[in-house]
Formats: sequence, C-alpha cells, structure tokens
Amino acid sequence: MTAWLMRSFLLCLLNAALALVLSPLCEGIMRKLRAAIHSRIGPPITQPYWDLFKLLGKEDLRSAGGVVYASLPAFTLGSVLLLAALIPMGTAAPLAFAGDMIVVLYVAAMSGILVMLVGFASASPYASIGSSREMMMLLSVEPILAIALVVGAFKARTLALGGIVNWQVQNGPSISMAIGGVAFFLALQALAGKLPFDIAEADQEIMGGPLVEQSGPRLALFRWAMWTKQLVLAFLLVEVFFPWPRLGIHQLDLLMTSVKVLVVLVLVAVIDVVNPRLRIDQAMGYFLRVAFSSLAALAFAVIGK
Amino acid sequence: MVDAVRYVEASIVVLIVGSLVSLLFARRRKLCGWVSFAFVCASSVYTGLAVVGGCKGASGEHTILQLPQLGSRLTLRVDPLSAIFLAIVALIALLSTLYSVRYMEHYAHDKVAKFFPVLLLCVASMTGVLVCTDFLFFLIFWESMTLTSYFLVTFESENAASQRAGLKYFIITHGATLCMVAAALLLWRTSGSFHFDAIRQTLSALLNTRPFLAHSIIFLFFLGFATKAGILPMGDWLPDAHPVAPSGMSATLSGALVKLGIYGLVRLFCSFLVVSPSLRMWGIILALAGTGSLFVGNLTALRQTDTKRLMAFSTIGQIGYICLGLGVGAYCLPMYPALASIALAGAILHAVNHACFKSCLFLGAGSVLYRTGQRDMDKLGGLAGFMPYTTGTTTIASLSIAGVPPFNGFASKWLIIAGCVLAGMRFPLFLVLGLIALFISLATLASFLTVLGSVFLGKADPDIRTREVPISMIVPQVVLAALCVLLGIFPQLMLRFVGHAVADVTGITAAGVDASRIWGGLFLIDGSPVAFWSPLAMLAALAILALLSYAIQRAGGAQVRSVPVWYCGEEHAPATVRYPASSFYLPFKHAFQGIYPSGKVHVPRFPAPLRRALDFDQWLYVPAVRAMDAAADRVSRTHVGIPQIYLLWIVVGAIVVTGILLWVKG
Repeated sequence: MTAWLMRSFLLCLLNAALALVLSPLCEGIMRKLRAAIHSRIGPPITQPYWDLFKLLGKEDLRSAGGVVYASLPAFTLGSVLLLAALIPMGTAAPLAFAGDMIVVLYVAAMSGILVMLVGFASASPYASIGSSREMMMLLSVEPILAIALVVGAFKARTLALGGIVNWQVQNGPSISMAIGGVAFFLALQALAGKLPFDIAEADQEIMGGPLVEQSGPRLALFRWAMWTKQLVLAFLLVEVFFPWPRLGIHQLDLLMTSVKVLVVLVLVAVIDVVNPRLRIDQAMGYFLRVAFSSLAALAFAVIGK
Repeated sequence: MVDAVRYVEASIVVLIVGSLVSLLFARRRKLCGWVSFAFVCASSVYTGLAVVGGCKGASGEHTILQLPQLGSRLTLRVDPLSAIFLAIVALIALLSTLYSVRYMEHYAHDKVAKFFPVLLLCVASMTGVLVCTDFLFFLIFWESMTLTSYFLVTFESENAASQRAGLKYFIITHGATLCMVAAALLLWRTSGSFHFDAIRQTLSALLNTRPFLAHSIIFLFFLGFATKAGILPMGDWLPDAHPVAPSGMSATLSGALVKLGIYGLVRLFCSFLVVSPSLRMWGIILALAGTGSLFVGNLTALRQTDTKRLMAFSTIGQIGYICLGLGVGAYCLPMYPALASIALAGAILHAVNHACFKSCLFLGAGSVLYRTGQRDMDKLGGLAGFMPYTTGTTTIASLSIAGVPPFNGFASKWLIIAGCVLAGMRFPLFLVLGLIALFISLATLASFLTVLGSVFLGKADPDIRTREVPISMIVPQVVLAALCVLLGIFPQLMLRFVGHAVADVTGITAAGVDASRIWGGLFLIDGSPVAFWSPLAMLAALAILALLSYAIQRAGGAQVRSVPVWYCGEEHAPATVRYPASSFYLPFKHAFQGIYPSGKVHVPRFPAPLRRALDFDQWLYVPAVRAMDAAADRVSRTHVGIPQIYLLWIVVGAIVVTGILLWVKG
C-alpha cells in the first residue's frame, strides 16, 4: 500500500516537473513561429525561460492584502499541475484512480476560476472586466469540452479517461470521435487564451485583464500556469481523440505523442497569428454554433458510428 | 427500536412547549431568542438520538391516536430516509434559531412574539411531516407547516412587498395542498384507509386495473410535492418569499422546508410506486422537470442584483439538480438497479449538501443585511476587510454550490451527472440532460462569483464604517461552512447513510456506489468500476503541488510591497470606478433574457355591487352621522343669545299652543 502510494506520488511529481519544464519550450517555439510568419527573426526559443527567471526575481507589488489573495497564484499553478496528473500524457495518468472524466472537466475549470478570483480581489476595474469576460468564455467553451469527452465516455462505456483512450486505441477511428476531436481543438484555442479568443486578457484593450495588477513572481506563476495548461490540454486532445498508431514500443509511442502535441500547438499558433481579436458576443455566438454542431458527434455515437 | 420514535415524540413536545414558553418572554427580545434556542437545542438532541436510532434500519411504529371511523390513525415511524431529512431539519433549525437571536434586532418595529414561537411550531410540524405514516395526519402536519411558514414570511407587517409575497406563497401552496387532499381522498375512497402501506397497495392495484385514475392521483401528488420543493413552474412562490423573510427563516425555508417536497417525491416515486414500467415514464417527466428547473433557475439567478433573490433562484436551480437525480433514479429503478442507486444517492446527498451551503449563503447575506442594511449588490463592495468570517464562509459556500472540487457540492453533482451519463448509455436523452447540468454548474459559479466579486472583494468606500457580526451569528455560518468542507472531503460519511436509505426505501440491493473505504475514494460500479472520485488523494496532491508552486514563487526572494490600485495614472474614488454587479456578464445575460416570465399577484377584487353593499360607511354610517349633524345645526341656529328673539319665540309658542288647544276643543 505504502509502496504503491509512494509510486503514484513520485509519478505525480514527475508529471508535474515534466509539464513545468516543457511548457515554456512549447511557448518559445510558438513565438518563434509567429515571428517567422511576421517575417521577423523573433526571440530565441529559450526566451520564455528567461522571462520567467527574470519575473521571479522582480519586486512583488500587491494591490490587495490577505492570505487568500497571497496564495492564489500558487493554487492556480497547483491546480494546473493537478490536471496534468489526471490526464494520460504518453502513459497512464498517475492519479487516474482518483478522478474520472467529470473530475477532469471540473479541475480544468479550476485554474480559470482562481484567475477570476484574483481579478475580482485585485480591485482594479480592468481586472473585473477581464474576469467577467473570462467567465463568459469559460461558459461558452466548457460545454464543448464536456460534449467531446461525453462522446468518448458513451462509446467506451466508462467514465475513466484511461478506459476511453484504451477503447480508442482498440477500435480505431470513428466519425463521432473525429467530430468530437475537431470541436475540442476549436475550444482549445480559447482555453489557451490565443487569438482570436484572447478576449479576457486583451492586452491592447484592458491591459491583461484579470492579471493587470499582478507583477513579479505572481505574474510568473500565472504565465507559467497558462502555458502549462495549453500543453496539458493539447495532450488530452491527442491522447483521447487521436491516439493512433500505437506501436507497442513505449518510448516510440511517447515520442509520437509529443510530436502530435507539437503539431497541435503549431496549428494553434498559426491560427493565433492570422486572426484579429473577436468581440465577446461574436465569440459566444461562434462557440454556441460549435457546441450545437458538436451535438452531431453525440448523435453519430448513438447510432454507433 | 421503538426508542427512536419516542425520541421524535419528545422532540415535538419540547418544541411545542418551547413555543408557549418563549411566548411568555416575548417582551424581551434577546431573552425570548435564547429561551427558544434552549428549547430547540433540547429538541435537536432528541431528534439527533432518533436519527442515530433510525439511520440503520426502520424503527417500530408507534400509534398515538386511532380514528377507526375514518380509517386513520396517528402513527409515527422513523426509517433511514426520514432520519436523513430529520437530521437536516434539526441541524438547520438549531443553527438558524441561534443566528436569529441577535439577527432579530434588525427589525425594530415588529415584535419577536411573531417570530420565535411560530418558528418553533414550524420546526415541530416539519418533524411531524417526516415521521408520520398516515396521510390524514401527514396533511395536517403539512398544512400547519405551510401556515406557520406563511406567518414567518410575512413577518414584516409594514412591508408591502413581504405581504404580497406572502399572499402569493399562501395561494400557490394551498392550491398544491388541495391537489394532495384530492389525491388522498381519491385513494381513501378506494381503500378506506389513509395509512401509507394501504395507499401503496391500493396504488399498485389501481395501476393495473384503472391506470388513468392511478396516474391522475400520482400527478396530483407530484404537483403538491413539486410546488413545495420549488420546481418550476409551480415553484414561482419561491423567489418572492425567500428574500422578504427574515434571514434565519430564509435559511430554514431553503435549507429544510423545501427539502420536504423532495422527501415527498422520494416517498412517492421510490416507495409508493411499485417497480413497474410506468415508473420509467414518470422518471423521464421528473428528469425533464428538474432540468427545466435547473436551467431556468440558475440562469435567472445570474441576472439578479439582490443577494437574497439571487440565492432564492439558485435554490430553484439546485432543487432542479435533485429532481434530475430522482428522475434518472426512477427511470432506472425497474431495469438497472445499480444505476438507480447511484442517481438516487446523488439526489439525496445533494439535498443534504444543499441544506449546508444554501443555509450558509442565506445567513451570510443576512449578516451583510444586518450590518449594512443593503441587499442590492450594486451598492455594496469590499466588505472582505470588515467582515472576514462572513467573507470566508460565503466563499466556501459559493465554491461548494458551484461544485468546485473538493467541496461538498462537487461530490453530489458528480454522482448526479455520472448517473445521467451512465443512464444515457441506455437512453440517450439523459446524456443531453447531463450535459445541460454540467453547463449550468458553471452558470451557478458565475452567479456566485458575482456575489463574491461585488459584495466582498474589491475596495470599499473610505467612508464605510462597519464591522463583523456578533459571535452568535458567526458560529452558525462557520459550522455550516465546516460541514461543506468535511462532507466534501469525506462524502463517504454521508453516503453510507444515504445508501441505507435508498436500499430501505426502494428495496433494491445492488449497490452502484462503493463508499466502503473512508480514506480511499468513491467508486461507481456499473458491471465494472466506471467512475472514480477520491477527494483525499486529490486534495493531498493539490496541496503538495501548490506548495511546490509557492516554493517556486519564493525562489527568487522577491520583495513584497503594498501599492494602490493603478487607474492608468488617474486618481479615482473606489465607488466611481467599481464594476457593479449589474454589469457582470452583460452579453451573456442578454442572450438569456426573458426565460423566466413571472406573473404578479394582485389582491382579489370583489364585484362592484357586492363591494358597495358591504361598505357600511358609505350607505349607513356616514349618511346617518351627516343627518344628525345637520339637525343639530338647525337647532343651534335658534339659540342666538338675544333676549328679544327668545321673547318672540315665547309669544309665537303661546299663540301656537293656544291655537292647538282651541282646535282640539272645537
């Protein structure tokens, strides 16, 4: 029992460490790509690491007091790392015994909730507007995530993510899961806070939204949490909806998954570069249509396709 | 095992005596409150003993009164289902009475004689409803509960809004009671008895012989219970009645009283209806009603700016969740008992959890009202600095109601949604309902973030002077918030009792919920384990990862400095730049405008002739008084005080008298 507990604990930490180390690298690649499309040279790929490094040493300016306000950045990053421990990333998830698909959906929303709380607590009107927008984006995007994962659960007859992945690997592609995957990908753009859906942050408009009052190490943690979240969700997309081909050789599979995740993130970055920012009502209308279209996946799943 | 019933009887007697005794002290506000609290304490101890006795298996029946002519007898019994609801009633009654002791100072013009004795009677009748096994006395207790709660809702005699809301409550709930009376009489005509067992047998016989009549009876019962539970559209009384009642009563209404409607629904659908195919149809109806209720209730809550009204709408929404769980459970009962036990356990657990967090929220709103006199969120802000305990408990309760793991709301919502998805694998409609429930859980979060963001967080105006509420008001809030956390981390504690209740009331033995390990997690079993939730492991992992993150945050050794909010270089008073509650999520609110049409109740108007005939002032008193007045006026005009005029009158009088005498003689 103890050995098993220690093992899952260490795996959990390993997962967290990997996600923490890899996420700035992905962000660096995305920045480089954006620069290339803009015909710029752009920053070196390691730039996000240097950004974080520098922010961690800068002065920490706070517009509000209290223990809760002080601990929010740590809990935000912690909740994203918890999500990383719940999602199969190349291997089985270390905490798979503790949470199923519904838990994953709620934990995925947790970091957003904590960011909103920080926004409201920092007392800046810009932050409040940003938090309010963040909530509306969450309201429009989470149902799509839920529909896509429920399709998987319906097909695999289990709510465990690992079970859904196994079912996918064994049964091969299906129309319903493909539609679900596409819907998930469209939602990922908003969950990662990328254009055309970076409405909550909107730097040129409301100066970073919920994070306008955050500086130094607090800002570093929030940034890091955001980058890690996009990486983790990209893993979720690849593992649940596009896990093939599985060769059975562990290292090779892991490599393949990582390459696919990178492809997904590159696609996200390309969409980010070539689009202007939407207004919140336009974004909500768009996601409403996506949500209703993704119900088609459910319909296909019910008729067994 | 008869003891459990004896304890409940003792509890009811203590409450009735307490109600009379507190009436004696009604002149002194605080004393009256403390005396009532002492009696509620004693009754809660008795109820607690009854709950302990009854939660594992049904107690024996105890008959107090026999009415053989009517085929009715006052029989009490505690079974695991009623034990769970008894626990809710006792806990919420205890805490809201304690809270009300100081809170009632808020109403300087109204006497507490109208509050504490009636509150105690209300609690006594709720207890009676839960242990009664005879429909005649069930309805008597039910009616006395409705009446006492009506008086508590209309406590503020000077407040027109509260009188109007009370009238609406009175009319709607009495319509519902009428439905139940009709249903009970229809059954009585067939069986000649009011006893629950007889009714169960009659109903199952009728379903085979006269299905139309049987379904009509079920529908009438459904209407009655659903109205009390606050399921839309019958629950229209709820958003008006909750905000105007004193906060202690709002907490009791939302925490305990509407739960009795749920208790009735569980009894009706899981115990009275034998496992028959018609249960599937009723399951779908219940699930649809619940989904409609949770959709409309929670999205309407999002549009409110009055704290207590927001919470009232959200009660409708949360009751919708419970009803959805019941519906899925009822649907699965005939064919998939394991799934039914999952959904029913989720529904009953959500009823318990809702009692904890919603009462806590109402008490929090009451504390804000007590100190600031304000319910309008647009006019509040930054109270976190002044009321740290209320802020903390309201935050915990808000996160619980939104279903943020690992608070208690999550465990029950997880069971209900998992039940929906698993049942949806057999009947896909439930998949859609489960998805709606998931989405609405976020909308709940949005509406309570509005409360947190606009009432407690942010900067307060510099001229605000307020402070934390007295300790007797803090304690109930803290206890409820602690329960939210405890039941969130250890849902197994409650789920075991809920499991007993479900098994006892439905008679199914297949267990879909594995809650045997206290330190491990919850498993849902549908053939094989299909869903997992282990709050303790999750919490431990979150704590470790958050500590790790905090270590990273402090790694650079950055200096911390407190600075004013940056308004792009300008200086503003906090009030002028505050983001008001009515502006939150405006585009989203616009998208869901008008999903809740509400009718206003006017005082009924009599036909005009009748009104005129009854208006004695108009045609009797006023004309009579006027005539008297005019006559006196004329008389007084003769007395002008001049001697010559009097002499003239005497002469004229003498002539008239002589004339009359002559005329009589002649």
